[in-house]
Amino acid sequence: MSAPIIRTRGLTKRFGTFLAVDAVDLAVPPRTIFAFLGGNGSGKSTTIRMLIGILAPTAGEIEVDGIDVVRRPRQVRDHIGYMGQRVSLYQGLTLRENVEFYAGLFGLQGRRLEQRWGELRERFALEQAEGERPENLPAGIRQRAGLALGMLHHPRVLFLDEPTAGVDVRSRHLFWHVIREEAAGGTTVFVTTHFLEEVEHCDRVACIEGGKLIAEGAPDELRARFTPGYRITVRGAPPAVVAGELVSAGCTITQASDPVCATIPSLRPATLAVLARLREVFAQAEITVEQPEMAEVFRRMLAAAREAS
Amino acid sequence: MAHAGSAEPLIRLRGLVKRWGPRLALAGIDLEISQPAVVGVVGPDGAGKSTLLRALAGLLDVEAAEARVLGFDLRRDVTALKARVGYVPQVWSLHPALSVEENMRFTARLHRLDEATCRQRTTDLLERTQLAAFRHRPAGALSGGMKQKLAVACALLPAPALLLLDEPTAGIDVLARAELWNLFTAARASALVVTSTSYLEEAAACDILVCLDRGQVLACTSPTALRNALPFECYRAWTEATGAVVAAARTLPYVGSLRPRAAHVRIDVPVERSPGPDAVLRDLHGLPGVHFAERIAPDMEAALLGLARGEGR
Repeated sequence: MSAPIIRTRGLTKRFGTFLAVDAVDLAVPPRTIFAFLGGNGSGKSTTIRMLIGILAPTAGEIEVDGIDVVRRPRQVRDHIGYMGQRVSLYQGLTLRENVEFYAGLFGLQGRRLEQRWGELRERFALEQAEGERPENLPAGIRQRAGLALGMLHHPRVLFLDEPTAGVDVRSRHLFWHVIREEAAGGTTVFVTTHFLEEVEHCDRVACIEGGKLIAEGAPDELRARFTPGYRITVRGAPPAVVAGELVSAGCTITQASDPVCATIPSLRPATLAVLARLREVFAQAEITVEQPEMAEVFRRMLAAAREAS
Repeated sequence: MAHAGSAEPLIRLRGLVKRWGPRLALAGIDLEISQPAVVGVVGPDGAGKSTLLRALAGLLDVEAAEARVLGFDLRRDVTALKARVGYVPQVWSLHPALSVEENMRFTARLHRLDEATCRQRTTDLLERTQLAAFRHRPAGALSGGMKQKLAVACALLPAPALLLLDEPTAGIDVLARAELWNLFTAARASALVVTSTSYLEEAAACDILVCLDRGQVLACTSPTALRNALPFECYRAWTEATGAVVAAARTLPYVGSLRPRAAHVRIDVPVERSPGPDAVLRDLHGLPGVHFAERIAPDMEAALLGLARGEGR
């Protein structure tokens, strides 16, 4: 695996006697979408504020895109884009005026600005909104505009703190389309959300509770750790054959008669290949896969952590 | 004047209109709800969700052919209606300097609850919201989830017949959300609960969904019926190469929208264009990078995206 593009060691923040972030070690591989989950007041936003260099840690190390953020908090800003829960668009200025203002901060102007903004405007479907003031735009469009502005300077890492809070399903769909494109193009995306189904877009997940990192891994690793796993049902095929095949693929059989039911902690290509073969051999069979929902994974994870503390 | 429990529907709106200057926020709402239930109000930003909730709370001057809530006419004096409604607005509006208990006491006095009732309901609600340990904490110093629980507790204090909640769980974590939903479903025993939400799993948990767009009701039905009425079939293709699979799936002439995730792609196929599940599955299996493809039940995201596109009405 390539060297992490975001790395913290023993990252800690105290506010007086309150320990908001407690010795957090993070390693985010480049070009991934990394979900950072946590309950209200878990230390999520405090961690992000330290990562982007606007809040000095009490202790620990932070490296983002090769920059020591603790020593050089200003230098990291050219490398990252940030969008917070409250989109920082200036009211009273039109979207276009906001664009010129933000572009100016990064020395982006003239033809280069026109080209970059033209491209973002189209991808984010912001053509109609350009002349509007942010306060007159629906939340979904405002969020997209905020993200476009955060990306003007081609940041290598995007930090998104609850970017889709209070945004409708259609805008979220479009928003994630852009995020995935961006990640496919090489940007690393560090994102928090309370919409747990959005974690399905993410390559890795970390979870913070009470300032401590309580879990980290690929979504399937966490599913395997905190839930009974995937549930596979095969109906209308010889049960003995099906059960044999599923066992060979690593499944645990929970019902051996038709419909055959089985569980498996995570879905690997080898398991899927067995399902595909069953479909091929028994064309009439009905095969379904039930994926444990991320909300359920997160609920169990939090409950376990709260129980332990 | 009729009350909850009598034969008259709890809500009956016909042609409800709310104008803000030249803009029609509600453009002729027809809605009838007869039984206590958890009713979800969903729709795109600017669809009129908050306006509808405020209208139901008796907070707006409206025009309508008929506009009755709990038997009261929204176009006349709604003072008596307000006494029977609990309303939690989108912007948290309790008193930050008052403690949890003082906020509840304040609400109780507004509703002229007698001392014994106030004490008994406050104790009960603090217990059920798990706020009892924080009763002396200033409301402004509570976490986001606790603030919302307090807001709901205050709204429930007068034992309303209608509980109106405007995005009560926005920005709230999953555990606090589950606790809030326990309150809503418990309230359903004696009240009609109407809540707006942008969470798909909350929409799926409602008894009835009212889908709004541009100030009109597109659908008013159960979440299951909404999903089953979708005019498209849903499939899921498991792959590690979602980008390539999306590109390849686009070349299939019958494919509608594609919804890629990290480990699979959801594929919606309009029924009128579908060559049948067997053929679709065969084609999907043939795409490079697809390990396995299956037909899945339509999900809430598919239903709401479909409605937004004008399908399934």
